[in-house]
Amino acid sequence: MNIHRNLGLAGLATATLIAIAPVMAAAQQTESKLYEVIERGHLIFGTGSTNVPWHFVDEKNELAGFDVDMGKILARALFDDETKIEYIRQAPDARIPNLLTNKTDFTCQFMTINTARAQKVEFTLPYYREGVAMILNKKGPYPDRASIDKALADGKKIRVAVLQNADVEDTVHDVIEGVEIDQYEEQGLVFEALDTGRADGGIVDLSNVLWLSKKFPERYAHGGDGEKASSYGCAVKPGDQVWLNFINTALREAMNGRDFDVYAASFEEWFGVRPPAPKIGFPIENR
Amino acid sequence: MNYHFNWKVIVEDWDKLMWGLLLGLEIAFGAIIIGLVIGLVLAFASHARQFWIRAAVKVYVTFLRNQPPLLLLFFAYFVLPRMGIRIDRVESVVLALGLYAGAQLTEVFRASLANIPKGIREAGLAIGLTPVRTNTLVVLPVMFRNAIPALGNSFISLFKDTSLAAGIAVAELTWQARKISTDTFAVLESWIAACVIYVVACMIIAQLLLALERKLKIP
Repeated sequence: MNIHRNLGLAGLATATLIAIAPVMAAAQQTESKLYEVIERGHLIFGTGSTNVPWHFVDEKNELAGFDVDMGKILARALFDDETKIEYIRQAPDARIPNLLTNKTDFTCQFMTINTARAQKVEFTLPYYREGVAMILNKKGPYPDRASIDKALADGKKIRVAVLQNADVEDTVHDVIEGVEIDQYEEQGLVFEALDTGRADGGIVDLSNVLWLSKKFPERYAHGGDGEKASSYGCAVKPGDQVWLNFINTALREAMNGRDFDVYAASFEEWFGVRPPAPKIGFPIENR
Repeated sequence: MNYHFNWKVIVEDWDKLMWGLLLGLEIAFGAIIIGLVIGLVLAFASHARQFWIRAAVKVYVTFLRNQPPLLLLFFAYFVLPRMGIRIDRVESVVLALGLYAGAQLTEVFRASLANIPKGIREAGLAIGLTPVRTNTLVVLPVMFRNAIPALGNSFISLFKDTSLAAGIAVAELTWQARKISTDTFAVLESWIAACVIYVVACMIIAQLLLALERKLKIP
């Protein structure tokens, strides 16, 4: 009799534990975008679509680029499936508003990490270090840097096109002084201005200049670099450390750990050079 | 909402917003003048005896009224230089919006013209005025007075359309608001300020036009 009673009590206790376990787990689990995304089954990823080699629409009419690959790294980390992404194409000035209004879970869109932005969003680890350069139209009146410098020395008005962005005047002056600056809302319009002669040069990311002058050598020339480097980071809405930690884990392991090959392949595809492999032993990111 | 408003940046850059507003009003004014001239000429031309003139007017109006103004703007700014026609940025906006307004106002004036009683024209001719002087001294003032409400709406619409000029880096109000937003990351403050300025400006313009309409009304 005692055995039967004890077995019954044990069974009842087990059944009770099984019944309340999900409730206990839910009560203990912190609220985070991470769990919301996992439950949803796909990532809502904000990025652009008009800027090679970062984010653009390829011949297959699909989004491609280094920023897009960062989104895929995260989707793989979450779901082991890089296709579990809903892309939100956004203009640069929508990066922060879309995060703050929960239209996107996170954004990678060649976003320069700076302290003013860091007051509005939280940045991940940097995934690229960018420079600034001038791109010139070989079919225009100033096909190389020497001709622009001569024009400036002769007192001619030189106009450069640039994406409207924070501290853009400083960015331009890092590359070239004494020019007039036209600030466009889209990177595509910067190149339109250069191609149609509305601007004598374009101040864009060094990665853009390297890509375009390699892909279209008859059309574009590299007109000199700036000295300052900018870190690009992905960004999330502030206040969710769990989500930020997860993304940083995924990015760190892609740049320095077991997922390095994926990151390196993307880096090589878009920038033409393979980053150095992490050395076994001392973690490189601690140096 | 986890957002901290900082209206100080709007106060500090208020002068930039006002300069942008002023530029927008100047562009709208320039465009409406071009539109007025085109509209008046084509409204009369639409009643020409020659078929080819009436057809040309119809083609112009149909083509331009069915274009998004932004497309016309890009055409004026980016395409014309490739055809050897190079005009400055602000002039490109004025031209594009002026041509667009011209198409709209052609229809406004054409309708106004159609509503003028025949007797008015006949009276002009009866007192010895030539057809041209009858049109300019008798028909035009009446037509214009009738068209003022629609003209007012067109001007307000044109003024709002000047925000498209931000797309080609013209530093009007929308461009200035975006500049403040990108420099300070005060996204909500910049766009709320721009919205309020547009609303207040349009309301003031509407009241001024209403006053003009009342002044020109025949008692």
